[in-house]
Amino acid sequence: MAPPTTPSEVAAELMRRHPGVEAHKIEGQTAELTVPAGMIRDVVKSVDELLPHALPESMFGVDLQDDRYQLIYYFWSHDIRVLVQLRVELEGEEPEIDSVCDIFPGLEWHERETHEMFGIGFRGHPDLRPLLLPDELVGKYPLRKSFQPDRRRLAESGLPQPRPRRQEANKE
Amino acid sequence: MSPDIRDEAVEMWFGPQHVSAHGWAAKLTVVGDFIVECDPHAGYFHRSAEKVLEFRTFKQGPLVLERMCMLEAFLAEYPYISAVEQIAGVEVPERAKVLRTIMMEASRIHSLQFWWGQFSAELGLFAMTLWPWVDREFFLDTFEELTGSRHAVSFSTPGGVRYDFNEKVLKKLDRALQRLEQHLPKFKDMLLRSPTFRMRTKGIALFSYEDALRWGLSGPNIKACGVPMDLRKDWPDLNLAYDLVDWEVPVVDNPDHPGQSDAYDRMVQRFLEVETSINIIRQLLPQIPEGPIVDPKARAKTNRLPAGEAYGRVEGTRGVTTVWLKTTEKAQTPYRAKIRGPCFASYYSLKHLVPGSTFADFIVVFGSLDPYPGWWDR
Repeated sequence: MAPPTTPSEVAAELMRRHPGVEAHKIEGQTAELTVPAGMIRDVVKSVDELLPHALPESMFGVDLQDDRYQLIYYFWSHDIRVLVQLRVELEGEEPEIDSVCDIFPGLEWHERETHEMFGIGFRGHPDLRPLLLPDELVGKYPLRKSFQPDRRRLAESGLPQPRPRRQEANKE
Repeated sequence: MSPDIRDEAVEMWFGPQHVSAHGWAAKLTVVGDFIVECDPHAGYFHRSAEKVLEFRTFKQGPLVLERMCMLEAFLAEYPYISAVEQIAGVEVPERAKVLRTIMMEASRIHSLQFWWGQFSAELGLFAMTLWPWVDREFFLDTFEELTGSRHAVSFSTPGGVRYDFNEKVLKKLDRALQRLEQHLPKFKDMLLRSPTFRMRTKGIALFSYEDALRWGLSGPNIKACGVPMDLRKDWPDLNLAYDLVDWEVPVVDNPDHPGQSDAYDRMVQRFLEVETSINIIRQLLPQIPEGPIVDPKARAKTNRLPAGEAYGRVEGTRGVTTVWLKTTEKAQTPYRAKIRGPCFASYYSLKHLVPGSTFADFIVVFGSLDPYPGWWDR
Protein backbone atom coordinates (compact mmCIF):
# COMPACT_ATOMS: atom_id res chain seq x y z
CA MET A 1 0.00 0.00 0.00
CA ALA A 2 1.26 3.47 -0.85
CA PRO A 3 2.20 5.58 2.19
CA PRO A 4 -0.44 8.17 3.14
CA THR A 5 0.06 11.66 1.77
CA THR A 6 -2.98 13.64 2.94
CA PRO A 7 -4.25 14.45 6.46
CA SER A 8 -7.33 12.25 5.98
CA GLU A 9 -5.23 9.30 4.77
CA VAL A 10 -2.88 9.66 7.75
CA ALA A 11 -5.86 9.82 10.12
CA ALA A 12 -7.55 6.81 8.47
CA GLU A 13 -4.37 4.72 8.69
CA LEU A 14 -3.82 5.65 12.36
CA MET A 15 -7.44 4.73 13.20
CA ARG A 16 -7.11 1.44 11.29
CA ARG A 17 -3.94 0.47 13.16
CA HIS A 18 -5.19 1.58 16.58
CA PRO A 19 -8.89 1.01 17.25
CA GLY A 20 -9.83 3.53 19.95
CA VAL A 21 -8.19 6.48 18.20
CA GLU A 22 -10.87 8.88 16.95
CA ALA A 23 -10.73 11.66 14.41
CA HIS A 24 -11.62 14.95 16.06
CA LYS A 25 -11.37 17.29 13.07
CA ILE A 26 -9.70 17.10 9.68
CA GLU A 27 -9.34 20.43 7.98
CA GLY A 28 -6.88 21.88 5.48
CA GLN A 29 -3.43 20.49 6.22
CA THR A 30 -4.26 19.40 9.76
CA ALA A 31 -5.52 16.10 11.16
CA GLU A 32 -6.69 16.25 14.79
CA LEU A 33 -7.03 12.94 16.59
CA THR A 34 -8.11 11.91 20.08
CA VAL A 35 -5.96 9.15 21.59
CA PRO A 36 -6.72 7.09 24.74
CA ALA A 37 -4.01 7.73 27.35
CA GLY A 38 -2.82 4.12 27.44
CA MET A 39 -2.09 4.01 23.70
CA ILE A 40 0.05 7.11 23.36
CA ARG A 41 3.35 5.27 22.89
CA ASP A 42 1.97 2.99 20.16
CA VAL A 43 0.30 5.88 18.35
CA VAL A 44 3.41 8.09 18.47
CA LYS A 45 5.45 5.14 17.11
CA SER A 46 2.96 4.86 14.23
CA VAL A 47 3.15 8.61 13.62
CA ASP A 48 6.92 8.19 13.40
CA GLU A 49 6.45 5.46 10.76
CA LEU A 50 3.67 7.16 8.79
CA LEU A 51 4.90 10.74 8.65
CA PRO A 52 8.10 10.94 6.61
CA HIS A 53 10.71 13.00 8.49
CA ALA A 54 8.38 14.06 11.27
CA LEU A 55 9.29 17.12 13.32
CA PRO A 56 8.05 16.91 16.94
CA GLU A 57 6.84 20.48 16.84
CA SER A 58 5.23 21.00 20.19
CA MET A 59 3.74 19.25 23.19
CA PHE A 60 1.88 20.90 26.05
CA GLY A 61 -0.81 20.54 28.67
CA VAL A 62 -4.14 22.25 29.15
CA ASP A 63 -5.91 22.43 32.51
CA LEU A 64 -9.65 21.85 32.02
CA GLN A 65 -10.31 22.21 35.78
CA ASP A 66 -11.93 19.68 38.16
CA ASP A 67 -8.83 17.44 37.87
CA ARG A 68 -9.21 17.05 34.10
CA TYR A 69 -6.28 17.72 31.82
CA GLN A 70 -5.49 17.52 28.14
CA LEU A 71 -2.14 16.85 26.55
CA ILE A 72 -1.65 17.98 22.98
CA TYR A 73 1.14 16.76 20.69
CA TYR A 74 1.95 18.32 17.32
CA PHE A 75 3.93 16.63 14.57
CA TRP A 76 4.74 18.27 11.25
CA SER A 77 5.98 16.62 8.10
CA HIS A 78 7.52 18.90 5.52
CA ASP A 79 7.67 16.05 2.98
CA ILE A 80 3.87 15.71 2.71
CA ARG A 81 2.91 19.05 4.35
CA VAL A 82 0.72 17.41 6.99
CA LEU A 83 0.30 18.57 10.58
CA VAL A 84 -0.90 15.89 13.02
CA GLN A 85 -2.38 16.84 16.37
CA LEU A 86 -2.81 14.13 19.01
CA ARG A 87 -5.01 14.89 21.99
CA VAL A 88 -5.01 12.87 25.20
CA GLU A 89 -7.53 13.29 28.02
CA LEU A 90 -6.20 12.74 31.54
CA GLU A 91 -7.95 12.67 34.89
CA GLY A 92 -6.84 12.69 38.50
CA GLU A 93 -5.05 14.90 40.99
CA GLU A 94 -1.60 14.14 39.62
CA PRO A 95 -2.26 12.09 36.46
CA GLU A 96 0.41 10.02 34.76
CA ILE A 97 1.14 9.03 31.18
CA ASP A 98 3.92 7.17 29.39
CA SER A 99 6.80 9.29 28.19
CA VAL A 100 7.50 9.31 24.45
CA CYS A 101 10.84 11.09 24.64
CA ASP A 102 12.78 7.96 23.66
CA ILE A 103 10.89 7.91 20.33
CA PHE A 104 11.27 11.65 19.67
CA PRO A 105 14.11 13.03 21.83
CA GLY A 106 12.93 16.55 20.98
CA LEU A 107 9.95 16.07 23.28
CA GLU A 108 12.10 15.48 26.38
CA TRP A 109 12.12 19.11 27.49
CA HIS A 110 8.50 19.64 26.51
CA GLU A 111 7.54 16.82 28.87
CA ARG A 112 9.82 18.18 31.56
CA GLU A 113 8.14 21.58 31.30
CA THR A 114 4.62 20.08 31.33
CA HIS A 115 5.58 18.13 34.44
CA GLU A 116 6.67 21.18 36.42
CA MET A 117 3.86 23.43 35.17
CA PHE A 118 0.90 21.04 35.45
CA GLY A 119 2.03 18.25 37.76
CA ILE A 120 1.52 15.57 35.12
CA GLY A 121 3.84 12.59 35.58
CA PHE A 122 5.69 11.00 32.66
CA ARG A 123 6.51 7.33 33.24
CA GLY A 124 9.94 6.39 31.92
CA HIS A 125 11.19 9.97 31.53
CA PRO A 126 14.93 10.03 32.32
CA ASP A 127 15.12 13.48 33.84
CA LEU A 128 12.15 15.27 35.44
CA ARG A 129 14.10 18.02 37.23
CA PRO A 130 12.40 21.43 37.10
CA LEU A 131 13.33 23.24 33.88
CA LEU A 132 12.22 26.86 34.13
CA LEU A 133 10.86 27.39 37.63
CA PRO A 134 12.75 28.74 40.63
CA ASP A 135 12.98 26.39 43.63
CA GLU A 136 10.24 28.26 45.50
CA LEU A 137 7.64 27.38 42.89
CA VAL A 138 8.48 23.71 42.45
CA GLY A 139 5.41 21.62 43.18
CA LYS A 140 3.03 24.60 42.92
CA TYR A 141 2.17 23.87 39.26
CA PRO A 142 1.75 27.50 38.18
CA LEU A 143 -0.04 26.86 34.89
CA ARG A 144 -2.92 25.09 36.63
CA LYS A 145 -6.04 27.24 36.79
CA SER A 146 -6.14 26.85 40.58
CA PHE A 147 -2.85 28.77 40.87
CA GLN A 148 -3.69 32.44 41.43
CA PRO A 149 -0.78 34.68 40.52
CA ASP A 150 -1.96 37.75 42.42
CA ARG A 151 -0.47 39.57 45.36
CA ARG A 152 -2.50 37.68 47.95
CA ARG A 153 -0.77 34.45 46.96
CA LEU A 154 2.75 35.87 46.96
CA ALA A 155 3.46 34.88 50.55
CA GLU A 156 2.60 31.29 49.71
CA SER A 157 5.06 31.21 46.82
CA GLY A 158 7.97 32.10 49.08
CA LEU A 159 9.08 34.89 46.70
CA PRO A 160 10.18 38.23 48.19
CA GLN A 161 7.26 40.52 49.09
CA PRO A 162 6.79 43.79 47.20
CA ARG A 163 7.01 46.98 49.22
CA PRO A 164 3.61 48.35 50.32
CA ARG A 165 2.01 50.90 48.02
CA ARG A 166 2.42 54.55 48.92
CA GLN A 167 -1.23 55.24 49.90
CA GLU A 168 -1.22 52.25 52.19
CA ALA A 169 1.98 53.44 53.82
CA ASN A 170 0.49 56.92 54.28
CA LYS A 171 -2.58 55.54 56.03
CA GLU A 172 -0.43 54.06 58.72
CA MET B 1 31.66 6.91 29.19
CA SER B 2 33.95 4.28 30.69
CA PRO B 3 34.46 4.48 34.47
CA ASP B 4 38.16 5.39 34.36
CA ILE B 5 37.46 8.41 32.16
CA ARG B 6 34.89 9.47 34.75
CA ASP B 7 37.69 9.71 37.33
CA GLU B 8 39.49 12.33 35.29
CA ALA B 9 36.37 14.29 34.45
CA VAL B 10 35.91 17.81 35.72
CA GLU B 11 32.57 19.52 35.93
CA MET B 12 32.51 23.17 35.00
CA TRP B 13 29.92 25.81 34.30
CA PHE B 14 29.73 27.85 31.13
CA GLY B 15 27.70 30.91 32.09
CA PRO B 16 25.60 32.59 33.28
CA GLN B 17 28.27 35.27 33.82
CA HIS B 18 30.25 34.49 30.67
CA VAL B 19 30.14 37.23 28.02
CA SER B 20 28.77 34.86 25.39
CA ALA B 21 26.29 33.30 27.80
CA HIS B 22 23.73 36.06 27.89
CA GLY B 23 21.03 34.58 30.05
CA TRP B 24 21.85 30.89 30.02
CA ALA B 25 24.28 28.43 31.54
CA ALA B 26 25.42 24.93 30.68
CA LYS B 27 27.11 22.44 32.94
CA LEU B 28 29.93 20.79 31.02
CA THR B 29 31.75 17.63 32.00
CA VAL B 30 35.24 17.93 30.61
CA VAL B 31 38.03 15.38 30.22
CA GLY B 32 41.20 17.20 29.26
CA ASP B 33 40.17 19.48 26.43
CA PHE B 34 37.13 17.46 25.41
CA ILE B 35 33.55 17.83 26.53
CA VAL B 36 31.96 14.47 27.31
CA GLU B 37 28.63 15.66 28.68
CA CYS B 38 26.60 18.83 28.32
CA ASP B 39 23.66 19.71 30.52
CA PRO B 40 22.07 22.97 29.36
CA HIS B 41 20.15 24.83 32.08
CA ALA B 42 17.17 27.02 31.27
CA GLY B 43 15.10 29.43 33.29
CA TYR B 44 17.30 32.50 33.72
CA PHE B 45 14.92 34.58 31.55
CA HIS B 46 11.66 32.97 32.59
CA ARG B 47 8.89 35.59 32.74
CA SER B 48 5.93 33.14 32.77
CA ALA B 49 4.62 34.59 29.50
CA GLU B 50 2.05 31.82 29.08
CA LYS B 51 0.46 32.62 32.43
CA VAL B 52 0.67 36.36 31.77
CA LEU B 53 -1.18 35.89 28.47
CA GLU B 54 -4.14 34.37 30.33
CA PHE B 55 -4.67 37.77 31.97
CA ARG B 56 -4.21 39.95 28.87
CA THR B 57 -6.81 40.78 26.23
CA PHE B 58 -6.37 39.68 22.64
CA LYS B 59 -5.01 43.11 21.69
CA GLN B 60 -2.55 43.21 24.59
CA GLY B 61 -1.30 39.67 23.88
CA PRO B 62 0.97 40.54 20.93
CA LEU B 63 2.88 42.96 23.17
CA VAL B 64 3.83 40.08 25.43
CA LEU B 65 4.83 37.96 22.45
CA GLU B 66 7.16 40.51 20.87
CA ARG B 67 9.08 40.64 24.13
CA MET B 68 10.00 36.97 23.68
CA CYS B 69 12.54 38.00 21.05
CA MET B 70 13.14 41.70 20.54
CA LEU B 71 15.39 41.07 17.54
CA GLU B 72 12.53 39.69 15.46
CA ALA B 73 9.67 41.57 17.11
CA PHE B 74 7.57 41.82 13.93
CA LEU B 75 7.77 38.06 13.46
CA ALA B 76 7.43 37.10 17.11
CA GLU B 77 4.09 38.82 17.59
CA TYR B 78 2.55 37.36 14.45
CA PRO B 79 1.66 33.75 15.44
CA TYR B 80 -0.52 35.03 18.29
CA ILE B 81 -2.30 37.47 15.98
CA SER B 82 -2.74 34.72 13.40
CA ALA B 83 -4.36 32.45 16.00
CA VAL B 84 -6.72 35.24 17.15
CA GLU B 85 -7.68 36.02 13.55
CA GLN B 86 -8.34 32.35 12.85
CA ILE B 87 -10.73 32.05 15.81
CA ALA B 88 -12.49 35.31 14.94
CA GLY B 89 -12.58 34.28 11.27
CA VAL B 90 -11.41 37.63 9.95
CA GLU B 91 -9.39 38.63 6.92
CA VAL B 92 -7.31 41.80 7.03
CA PRO B 93 -7.22 44.49 4.27
CA GLU B 94 -4.89 43.85 1.33
CA ARG B 95 -2.65 46.77 2.25
CA ALA B 96 -2.16 45.42 5.77
CA LYS B 97 -1.14 42.02 4.38
CA VAL B 98 1.62 43.52 2.27
CA LEU B 99 2.84 45.87 5.00
CA ARG B 100 2.98 42.98 7.46
CA THR B 101 4.98 40.83 5.08
CA ILE B 102 7.45 43.62 4.30
CA MET B 103 8.06 44.40 7.95
CA MET B 104 8.37 40.73 8.89
CA GLU B 105 11.09 40.30 6.30
CA ALA B 106 12.81 43.51 7.43
CA SER B 107 12.72 42.12 10.96
CA ARG B 108 14.29 38.88 9.74
CA ILE B 109 17.13 40.81 8.10
CA HIS B 110 17.67 42.84 11.26
CA SER B 111 17.79 39.74 13.42
CA LEU B 112 20.26 38.01 11.11
CA GLN B 113 22.50 41.07 11.00
CA PHE B 114 22.61 40.99 14.77
CA TRP B 115 23.48 37.33 14.69
CA TRP B 116 26.38 37.77 12.22
CA GLY B 117 27.87 40.25 14.62
CA GLN B 118 27.29 38.18 17.70
CA PHE B 119 28.62 34.97 16.19
CA SER B 120 31.71 36.69 14.80
CA ALA B 121 32.40 38.28 18.18
CA GLU B 122 32.20 34.87 19.79
CA LEU B 123 34.83 33.69 17.31
CA GLY B 124 36.99 36.75 17.96
CA LEU B 125 36.41 38.50 14.60
CA PHE B 126 35.46 41.90 15.96
CA ALA B 127 35.52 43.86 12.68
CA MET B 128 32.62 41.72 11.49
CA THR B 129 30.77 42.48 14.72
CA LEU B 130 30.69 46.21 14.32
CA TRP B 131 30.15 46.57 10.58
CA PRO B 132 26.83 44.72 10.31
CA TRP B 133 25.67 46.42 13.49
CA VAL B 134 26.19 49.81 11.86
CA ASP B 135 23.95 48.70 8.98
CA ARG B 136 21.48 47.33 11.49
CA GLU B 137 21.03 50.85 12.86
CA PHE B 138 19.44 51.87 9.55
CA PHE B 139 16.77 49.19 9.97
CA LEU B 140 16.21 50.29 13.56
CA ASP B 141 15.76 53.86 12.30
CA THR B 142 13.12 52.59 9.87
CA PHE B 143 11.31 50.80 12.70
CA GLU B 144 11.49 53.96 14.78
CA GLU B 145 10.11 56.11 11.98
CA LEU B 146 7.27 53.65 11.42
CA THR B 147 6.23 52.76 14.97
CA GLY B 148 8.01 55.21 17.26
CA SER B 149 9.95 52.42 18.87
CA ARG B 150 13.17 50.72 17.88
CA HIS B 151 12.56 47.31 19.41
CA ALA B 152 9.13 46.90 21.03
CA VAL B 153 7.32 47.75 17.83
CA SER B 154 3.76 46.35 18.32
CA PHE B 155 3.06 46.83 14.63
CA SER B 156 0.54 44.12 13.74
CA THR B 157 -2.75 43.95 15.55
CA PRO B 158 -5.73 41.61 15.12
CA GLY B 159 -7.53 43.00 12.06
CA GLY B 160 -4.63 44.81 10.40
CA VAL B 161 -1.62 46.91 11.31
CA ARG B 162 -1.35 49.95 13.55
CA TYR B 163 0.94 52.23 11.57
CA ASP B 164 0.93 53.19 7.91
CA PHE B 165 3.90 53.66 5.60
CA ASN B 166 4.67 57.22 4.55
CA GLU B 167 7.33 58.78 2.34
CA LYS B 168 9.84 59.01 5.17
CA VAL B 169 9.48 55.34 6.12
CA LEU B 170 9.85 54.22 2.51
CA LYS B 171 12.93 56.40 2.11
CA LYS B 172 14.56 55.05 5.26
CA LEU B 173 13.73 51.44 4.37
CA ASP B 174 15.17 51.93 0.89
CA ARG B 175 18.32 53.44 2.35
CA ALA B 176 18.74 50.54 4.78
CA LEU B 177 18.28 48.00 1.99
CA GLN B 178 20.64 49.81 -0.36
CA ARG B 179 23.34 49.97 2.26
CA LEU B 180 22.97 46.28 3.00
CA GLU B 181 23.00 45.32 -0.69
CA GLN B 182 26.17 47.32 -1.09
CA HIS B 183 27.90 45.76 1.90
CA LEU B 184 26.72 42.17 1.58
CA PRO B 185 29.49 41.03 -0.83
CA LYS B 186 32.07 42.61 1.47
CA PHE B 187 30.70 40.81 4.54
CA LYS B 188 30.69 37.53 2.64
CA ASP B 189 34.32 38.05 1.70
CA MET B 190 35.28 39.01 5.22
CA LEU B 191 33.77 35.95 6.81
CA LEU B 192 33.51 33.13 4.35
CA ARG B 193 37.01 33.66 2.90
CA SER B 194 38.65 34.37 6.21
CA PRO B 195 41.02 31.49 7.03
CA THR B 196 40.37 31.92 10.76
CA PHE B 197 36.64 31.69 10.29
CA ARG B 198 36.91 28.64 8.04
CA MET B 199 39.19 26.85 10.46
CA ARG B 200 36.90 27.57 13.39
CA THR B 201 33.68 26.49 11.67
CA LYS B 202 34.37 23.85 8.98
CA GLY B 203 33.33 20.42 10.19
CA ILE B 204 32.21 21.72 13.58
CA ALA B 205 28.80 20.68 14.92
CA LEU B 206 28.04 18.49 11.94
CA PHE B 207 24.59 16.89 12.01
CA SER B 208 22.27 15.23 9.56
CA TYR B 209 18.82 16.62 9.04
CA GLU B 210 17.17 13.33 10.06
CA ASP B 211 18.77 13.66 13.52
CA ALA B 212 18.11 17.37 13.74
CA LEU B 213 14.41 16.93 12.98
CA ARG B 214 14.03 14.40 15.78
CA TRP B 215 15.54 16.88 18.24
CA GLY B 216 13.02 19.45 16.98
CA LEU B 217 15.36 21.78 15.08
CA SER B 218 13.86 23.83 12.26
CA GLY B 219 14.46 26.92 10.15
CA PRO B 220 17.93 27.76 8.76
CA ASN B 221 19.48 24.89 10.74
CA ILE B 222 17.50 22.40 8.62
CA LYS B 223 17.67 24.40 5.40
CA ALA B 224 21.48 24.38 5.65
CA CYS B 225 21.27 20.57 5.24
CA GLY B 226 19.71 21.05 1.80
CA VAL B 227 16.05 20.57 2.76
CA PRO B 228 13.74 23.46 1.76
CA MET B 229 11.59 23.24 4.90
CA ASP B 230 10.00 26.67 5.18
CA LEU B 231 6.54 27.55 6.47
CA ARG B 232 6.37 30.59 4.21
CA LYS B 233 5.92 28.10 1.34
CA ASP B 234 4.53 25.04 3.13
CA TRP B 235 1.83 26.72 5.22
CA PRO B 236 0.07 29.35 3.10
CA ASP B 237 -1.27 32.13 5.30
CA LEU B 238 -4.35 34.05 4.20
CA ASN B 239 -3.28 37.20 6.01
CA LEU B 240 0.23 37.47 4.58
CA ALA B 241 1.31 38.33 1.06
CA TYR B 242 3.98 35.76 0.15
CA ASP B 243 1.84 34.59 -2.79
CA LEU B 244 2.42 37.96 -4.53
CA VAL B 245 6.14 37.27 -4.69
CA ASP B 246 8.16 35.01 -6.94
CA TRP B 247 10.81 33.44 -4.73
CA GLU B 248 12.47 30.16 -3.87
CA VAL B 249 13.40 28.78 -0.46
CA PRO B 250 17.18 29.17 -0.15
CA VAL B 251 19.12 26.04 0.76
CA VAL B 252 22.78 25.15 1.10
CA ASP B 253 23.71 21.78 -0.30
CA ASN B 254 27.32 21.14 0.55
CA PRO B 255 28.70 18.37 -1.74
CA ASP B 256 31.25 17.41 0.95
CA HIS B 257 28.48 16.09 3.19
CA PRO B 258 25.06 15.93 1.51
CA GLY B 259 22.09 15.98 3.89
CA GLN B 260 24.29 17.34 6.67
CA SER B 261 25.38 20.77 7.77
CA ASP B 262 28.23 22.19 9.82
CA ALA B 263 28.67 25.62 11.39
CA TYR B 264 30.10 27.01 8.15
CA ASP B 265 27.08 25.87 6.08
CA ARG B 266 24.74 27.48 8.56
CA MET B 267 26.59 30.77 8.19
CA VAL B 268 26.29 30.55 4.39
CA GLN B 269 22.60 29.70 4.81
CA ARG B 270 22.02 32.84 6.84
CA PHE B 271 23.61 34.96 4.12
CA LEU B 272 21.19 33.38 1.63
CA GLU B 273 18.27 34.07 3.99
CA VAL B 274 19.12 37.76 3.98
CA GLU B 275 19.35 37.81 0.17
CA THR B 276 15.94 36.12 -0.07
CA SER B 277 14.40 38.61 2.35
CA ILE B 278 15.81 41.54 0.39
CA ASN B 279 14.37 40.02 -2.79
CA ILE B 280 10.93 39.61 -1.19
CA ILE B 281 10.87 43.18 0.12
CA ARG B 282 12.11 44.60 -3.20
CA GLN B 283 9.30 42.77 -5.04
CA LEU B 284 6.62 43.80 -2.55
CA LEU B 285 7.49 47.50 -2.27
CA PRO B 286 6.03 48.50 -5.70
CA GLN B 287 2.99 46.26 -5.06
CA ILE B 288 1.66 47.98 -1.92
CA PRO B 289 -2.05 48.51 -2.71
CA GLU B 290 -4.00 51.60 -1.69
CA GLY B 291 -6.64 51.27 0.99
CA PRO B 292 -7.18 51.08 4.73
CA ILE B 293 -4.55 49.46 6.96
CA VAL B 294 -6.99 48.12 9.50
CA ASP B 295 -10.52 46.79 9.25
CA PRO B 296 -12.42 48.30 12.23
CA LYS B 297 -15.14 45.65 12.02
CA ALA B 298 -12.61 42.83 12.10
CA ARG B 299 -10.78 44.53 14.96
CA ALA B 300 -14.01 44.92 16.93
CA LYS B 301 -14.71 41.22 16.43
CA THR B 302 -11.57 40.38 18.41
CA ASN B 303 -12.76 42.20 21.55
CA ARG B 304 -14.55 39.04 22.59
CA LEU B 305 -13.90 35.78 20.81
CA PRO B 306 -16.18 32.74 20.48
CA ALA B 307 -15.12 29.42 22.00
CA GLY B 308 -12.46 27.83 19.84
CA GLU B 309 -8.93 26.66 19.31
CA ALA B 310 -6.39 27.81 16.78
CA TYR B 311 -2.77 27.23 15.95
CA GLY B 312 -0.85 30.19 14.56
CA ARG B 313 2.41 29.29 12.83
CA VAL B 314 5.05 31.41 11.19
CA GLU B 315 8.55 30.83 9.86
CA GLY B 316 10.62 32.92 12.25
CA THR B 317 14.25 33.84 11.75
CA ARG B 318 15.25 30.88 13.86
CA GLY B 319 12.62 28.36 12.74
CA VAL B 320 9.04 27.28 13.32
CA THR B 321 7.41 29.71 15.77
CA THR B 322 3.90 28.88 16.90
CA VAL B 323 1.20 29.89 19.34
CA TRP B 324 -1.66 27.59 20.28
CA LEU B 325 -4.70 29.40 21.62
CA LYS B 326 -7.82 28.13 23.35
CA THR B 327 -10.69 30.46 24.10
CA THR B 328 -14.00 30.06 25.90
CA GLU B 329 -17.30 31.63 24.80
CA LYS B 330 -17.31 35.46 24.90
CA ALA B 331 -13.91 35.49 26.56
CA GLN B 332 -11.81 38.64 26.65
CA THR B 333 -8.63 36.72 27.42
CA PRO B 334 -7.30 33.34 26.24
CA TYR B 335 -8.05 30.26 28.31
CA ARG B 336 -4.64 28.87 27.47
CA ALA B 337 -1.86 30.10 25.24
CA LYS B 338 1.15 27.97 24.42
CA ILE B 339 4.21 29.52 22.83
CA ARG B 340 6.58 27.31 20.88
CA GLY B 341 9.84 29.13 20.42
CA PRO B 342 12.22 27.68 17.82
CA CYS B 343 15.21 27.96 20.17
CA PHE B 344 13.69 25.68 22.78
CA ALA B 345 14.79 22.86 20.48
CA SER B 346 18.14 24.38 19.48
CA TYR B 347 19.12 24.85 23.10
CA TYR B 348 18.00 21.37 24.07
CA SER B 349 19.90 19.80 21.16
CA LEU B 350 23.21 21.00 22.64
CA LYS B 351 22.90 17.92 24.80
CA HIS B 352 23.37 15.78 21.68
CA LEU B 353 25.62 18.06 19.67
CA VAL B 354 28.25 19.16 22.15
CA PRO B 355 29.70 15.89 23.54
CA GLY B 356 32.84 15.05 21.62
CA SER B 357 33.79 18.60 20.72
CA THR B 358 36.59 20.52 22.37
CA PHE B 359 35.94 23.17 24.96
CA ALA B 360 37.07 25.94 22.61
CA ASP B 361 34.51 24.82 20.03
CA PHE B 362 31.62 24.83 22.45
CA ILE B 363 30.67 28.40 21.68
CA VAL B 364 30.89 27.72 17.93
CA VAL B 365 28.42 24.85 18.30
CA PHE B 366 26.11 27.02 20.37
CA GLY B 367 26.39 30.15 18.25
CA SER B 368 25.91 28.37 14.94
CA LEU B 369 22.35 27.40 15.95
CA ASP B 370 21.38 31.07 16.48
CA PRO B 371 19.68 30.55 19.83
CA TYR B 372 17.97 33.33 21.75
CA PRO B 373 17.24 32.77 25.47
CA GLY B 374 13.86 34.55 25.35
CA TRP B 375 12.51 31.80 23.12
CA TRP B 376 13.22 28.91 25.43
CA ASP B 377 12.56 30.60 28.76
CA ARG B 378 9.47 32.56 27.66
